[in-house]
Amino acid sequence: MTFLHLSFYSTFTLSSLGLAFHRTHLISALLCLESMMLSMYIALSMWPIQTQTTSQTLMPILMLAFSACEAGTGLAILVASTRTHGSDHVHNLNLLQC
Amino acid sequence: MDLPLIIATSALLTLMILITPTMLPLLIKNHQNSPYTITQSVKTSFMISLVPATMFMYSGLESITFHWQWKFITNFKIPLTLKMDQYSLMFFPIALFVTWSIMQFASWYMASEPQITKFFFYLLIFLIAMLTLIVSNNMFLLFIGWEGVGIMSFLLIGWWHGRAEANTAALQAILYNRIGDIGFILCMAWLAISMNTWEIQLHSSQNQIPLLPLLGLILAATGKSAQFGLHPWLPAAMEGPTPVSALLHSSTMVVAGIFLLIRTHPMIHNNQTALTTCLCLGALSTLFAATCALTQNDIKKIIAFSTSSQLGLMMVTIGLNLPQLAFLHISTHAFFKAMLFLCSGSIIHNLNGEQDIRKMGNLQKALPMTSSCLTIGNLALMGTPFLAGFYSKDLIIESMNTSYLNTWALLLTLLATSFTATYSMRMTLLVQTGFARMTPVSPINENNPAIINPITRLALGSIMAGLLITSYILPAKTPPMTMPLPAKIAATVVTTLGIILALELSKMTNTLTIPKQNPLLNFSLTLGYFNPLIHRLSSMNLLNNGQKIASHLIDLYWYKKMGPEGLAALQLKAAKTSTTLHTGWMKTYLASFALTIMIILISSNH
Repeated sequence: MTFLHLSFYSTFTLSSLGLAFHRTHLISALLCLESMMLSMYIALSMWPIQTQTTSQTLMPILMLAFSACEAGTGLAILVASTRTHGSDHVHNLNLLQC
Repeated sequence: MDLPLIIATSALLTLMILITPTMLPLLIKNHQNSPYTITQSVKTSFMISLVPATMFMYSGLESITFHWQWKFITNFKIPLTLKMDQYSLMFFPIALFVTWSIMQFASWYMASEPQITKFFFYLLIFLIAMLTLIVSNNMFLLFIGWEGVGIMSFLLIGWWHGRAEANTAALQAILYNRIGDIGFILCMAWLAISMNTWEIQLHSSQNQIPLLPLLGLILAATGKSAQFGLHPWLPAAMEGPTPVSALLHSSTMVVAGIFLLIRTHPMIHNNQTALTTCLCLGALSTLFAATCALTQNDIKKIIAFSTSSQLGLMMVTIGLNLPQLAFLHISTHAFFKAMLFLCSGSIIHNLNGEQDIRKMGNLQKALPMTSSCLTIGNLALMGTPFLAGFYSKDLIIESMNTSYLNTWALLLTLLATSFTATYSMRMTLLVQTGFARMTPVSPINENNPAIINPITRLALGSIMAGLLITSYILPAKTPPMTMPLPAKIAATVVTTLGIILALELSKMTNTLTIPKQNPLLNFSLTLGYFNPLIHRLSSMNLLNNGQKIASHLIDLYWYKKMGPEGLAALQLKAAKTSTTLHTGWMKTYLASFALTIMIILISSNH
C-alpha cells in the first residue's frame, strides 16, 4: 500500500482506538471522532484525484455536511450531560448499568 | 404274517385306546370318566403296546406310516407321519407301564382330592402328548408334543394353585422351557430354509450341517432336560403332587430333550464341536446336580436332583456319539426313578405330610415293602451290578474310559457317580435306619394294594429291565470289549468309595457333635448361588431397560429435552453468557465499536 493509504489507515485506526479507550472526559471522545472525520475527508478528497473520476469530487462535501451534523449532535449531548451532572465525565452516561 | 401291518395297526391302536377317555364324553351323553376307567385304559394300552414291541424284537422291522399331509404352501408340505422304530416301539411299553403304575398309585395318593378325575385326565393328556412326541417323524409333530408336555407340566405342577410357591414353580418351568424352545424353532427354521422339509429321516447324514442349528437343538435339550444353565425349574417342580413328579419329572417329560437329540443324531454325529458341547454340558450338569443333592433335606428334592444328574449323564452319552446307549439309560432310569418317587410318596402320606428326612427314621420296620423297594431303587440308581441301572450306567462309564475325550468331562462324571452313591446312601440311612425321629402318632399303614402293587411291579422292572432290553436289542455300535482292569471296574470302585463316605459321614452326624455351621456346605446348600443371581439380575436389567425405552425415551427425552424445553435451556445458556457483555457501561459499548472497526479493517485488506 502506498504511503498515502498507510497514513489514512493509521490515522483512522488510531482515532477509533482513541474513541474507544478514552478515560475520563467525553470531549476527548468527540475530538477523536473529529479526527476520524478529518482523515476520512482527506481520503475521500484524494481518491477522485488518483482515479481521475471527477464526478466523485462531490463525495467529501457530502461527508462534511453530515459530519457537521454529527459534531453538533455530539456537542449537544455534551452540554446536556454537563448541565445535568455538572461535569462531562463519561461515567455519567452509565445509565443502564446493572 | 404281514408284519408291517400288524406293527402299525397295533401301535395306532395303542394311541387310540389312550384317546378314548377324552373322546367318549363328547360322543355319549352323560358319560363320566373316573380314575378307574382312565387307569384301565392305560393298562389296556400297555398290554396292546407289547405286541408291536415283541414284533420288533422278533424281526427288527421298523416302519413309517403316512396319514395326512398339510399342504401348507406350494413346495413345503408338512406330512403327518409316524415312525415306529427301535426307539418309539421300545419306549411305548415302558412309558405305559410306568404310567399305569403311577395312576394306580395316584388313586390312593390323591384319594382325598375333590377333583381327582380332572387330575387323571391331565395325566392322560400329558401321556398322549408325550407319546406323540415319541412317535412323530417330523419336527412339527414333535414340537406339538413338546409344547403339549410343557403345558401339562405347568398345569400339573401348579395343581394346588392356592399355594404361591406352586404357582412360582409352574411359571419357572414354563419360562425355562420357553428359552429352550427358541433353540428348537431356530433349528426348525434352518431346516425349512435349507432342506425344505421337517422330516427327520430325510435329514441327510452325509452333509456337514453347520453349527448353528445344532446349537439350537442343544439349547432345546438344555431347556427341556434341565441341563446346567436352565436347570432351576426341575427342583422347583417338586411343588406338584408326587404322582406328577414321578411321571413328568423323572421318567417322561424331562427325557424329551435327550430324545430329541437321539432322534436328530444323524445331524449331530459328524460335528465334533456339537458333540463336545454336549459332553461338557452334560458332565457339568451331572456334577452340579449331584453336588446340590448332597445337602438337601427334602426327600423329593434329593430325588429331583438325582434325576437332573442322570439327565446330565444321558447328555454325556450323546456327546460320546452313542444314542442307543442314551436311550437304554432313559428306559432303565424310568423304572427306578418312578419307583423312588412312588416310595417317597408312600412315605410322605404315611407320615402325614412329612417330607424332611431329618424327621424320618426306622421306617424299615414300619413300612417294610416301601423301604425294600426304596433300597432296590437306590441300588439300581447307583449302578449295582446286574440290576437295571448297571446295564446302562456301567456301559456309559466304560465307553467314557475307553474313548478319546475331554479328561475334565471324564473326571466330573466319575466324581458325580460317587456323589450319586453318597446321597442315595445318605437318604437310605436317614429314612430307613436309626431311631425314629417322627411324631409319635403317625397314620402308618401300607397295607393297600393300590400302594403295594405299583411299587412291586416297578421293583420287578428295576431288577429285570436292563437284562431284558439288552438281551433283545442289538447294539448299533460295537461296545468296547477289552479294556484294562482299572477302566473296567472304575464305576464300581467310585460307587463303593461314595458308599463308604456316606456311611462314615452318617456315623459322624449321630455320634460326634458338629460345633458350628460349616461354610463349605454353602455352595451346595444354595444350589450354587445360581437362583438368586440369575433370577434377580436378568429380570431387573430387562425391566429397567424396558422402562427407559417405553416411558423415559419418548416422554422425557424427545418431547422435553430435545424439543421445547431443550431449546429453552439453550437460549437461557446463551442469554446468561451474553448478559456479562450487556452491562450498560459506556466503555464496553465503545469497545464494541473498536472491535467492529478492527475487524472491518483487517478483513478489507484482502
